[in-house]
Amino acid sequence: MKSPAIHVKDLGLRFGEHVVFDKVSFTLPAGKWVSLLGASGVGKTSLIRILAGLMPPTSGTITTSDGKPIAGRLAWMGQKDLLYPWLTIRNNIALSARLTGRRSDHQRVDALLSQVGLEGYGDQRPAALSGGMRQRAALARTLYDDKPIVMMDEPFSALDTITRTRIQALAAELLHDRTVLLVTHDPMEACRLSHQLLVLASASGGIDDSHVLEGAPPRAPNDHYLLHSQAQLLQQLVRANA
Amino acid sequence: MNRRTLVHMLFPVTIGVVLVAIWQYLVVAFKVPAYIVPSPWATLKTLVSNWSVLGHATLFTLEITLLSLLVATVLGVIIAFIFVQNRMIETAFFPYVVLLQVTPIVAIAPLIIIWINNTVVALTICSTLVAIFPIISNMTLGLRSVSPGLSAYFKLQNASRLQLLLRLRVPSALPNFFAALRIASGLSLIGAVVAEFVAGTGGSNTGLAYQILQAGYQLNIPLMFAALVLISAIGIGLFALMTLLSKLVIGRWHETEQEHRQ
Repeated sequence: MKSPAIHVKDLGLRFGEHVVFDKVSFTLPAGKWVSLLGASGVGKTSLIRILAGLMPPTSGTITTSDGKPIAGRLAWMGQKDLLYPWLTIRNNIALSARLTGRRSDHQRVDALLSQVGLEGYGDQRPAALSGGMRQRAALARTLYDDKPIVMMDEPFSALDTITRTRIQALAAELLHDRTVLLVTHDPMEACRLSHQLLVLASASGGIDDSHVLEGAPPRAPNDHYLLHSQAQLLQQLVRANA
Repeated sequence: MNRRTLVHMLFPVTIGVVLVAIWQYLVVAFKVPAYIVPSPWATLKTLVSNWSVLGHATLFTLEITLLSLLVATVLGVIIAFIFVQNRMIETAFFPYVVLLQVTPIVAIAPLIIIWINNTVVALTICSTLVAIFPIISNMTLGLRSVSPGLSAYFKLQNASRLQLLLRLRVPSALPNFFAALRIASGLSLIGAVVAEFVAGTGGSNTGLAYQILQAGYQLNIPLMFAALVLISAIGIGLFALMTLLSKLVIGRWHETEQEHRQ
């Protein structure tokens, strides 16, 4: 699967007089994992929703390296309301197949359920699962969709530390060749999984895309380089918030 | 039967038995004449001895209630579907739906009864007018209240308008729909009884309201109470049926039905 790079140029979003962000430019490199961080309310979720085509920007352009549109090539995992409560976990995971008139691949669904540690829960409804289990089921759906571009808005926030570490490694492994944008509040998660970090500042501050990480994710939690990057990222976040 | 279901049945039944016992005791102890307040026992005896008339009347009222509930549900859902297609349509027509809600049925029932010869049809129309508002209002709200998180995925999958309606909007609206159905079942019964009162028709097509009117003219208060008991029984039965229906359809996934799992 060939994943394209995504070029964002002079992107702006405003609601009346209120400027959320303005003239934001960056590139999501092809087949790389990029994490987007920033204080609450700076517009991270709005930015990722604009990139996904879920809301229009006020200004700016979004293009891909192969010239094709992002629509139809994107797997999305939102922050909340991830699963359809009336569908079983199995049908939630294979929902894209149902919507596009394809047969759902039961073997693949079973394999994904097993990978995210939800074996035996396929026929349950989401109400029977905990918040963390629902996030894992939503991740399984994102993986089932098998798209070259993946956008995730705080996908692991409800997981306990152990499960989060395991699922992060799984996601990094299974999405290693995709163009991924991850919104997160967790510097450790960002440094562990990413090739590059984006720090979004308040309206006038723009975006800081200078932090590029070496080596291949996922990095070990006790990796010295990861700890060093994390400290650097914290300084960036403080500067952006100043 | 699990413990929770048992408790849910046992508590109201116990309260009911205690209240009826107090009622019986007070009437007997204070020698209250039956033409003021009959005792529960006297009411029951009257109900049994007049069952041929009351049974027929119950069936008639039940028929009007169920017919109007069915018509209100079908029409209400269709109107809600039309409303959610376009905000302009909703904006233009919703005030007239509110008009249905705020106009007292006793004020327009005589007109409907004059205009329409067939008693069953006239009474069904009156009762439908009372019951339809919660269906339209709740269903429109439900169809519109799709979580942005859930609709985002459909949008990204390029789902068609029909898929969006049938696979997302309709299931999302089901909890609101069943809540409306519970309200509308009671309202359709009230509508049927009020319309019968206004129509005041005799002959074979008479329901419980007519029996109450007749009993009132004859000061046969035990018969009046017996008819009231039957109206209450229909109301409670319909509410229980709608609750059961809701449990069967959305019980496995909707959070309001999931309390016992917490």
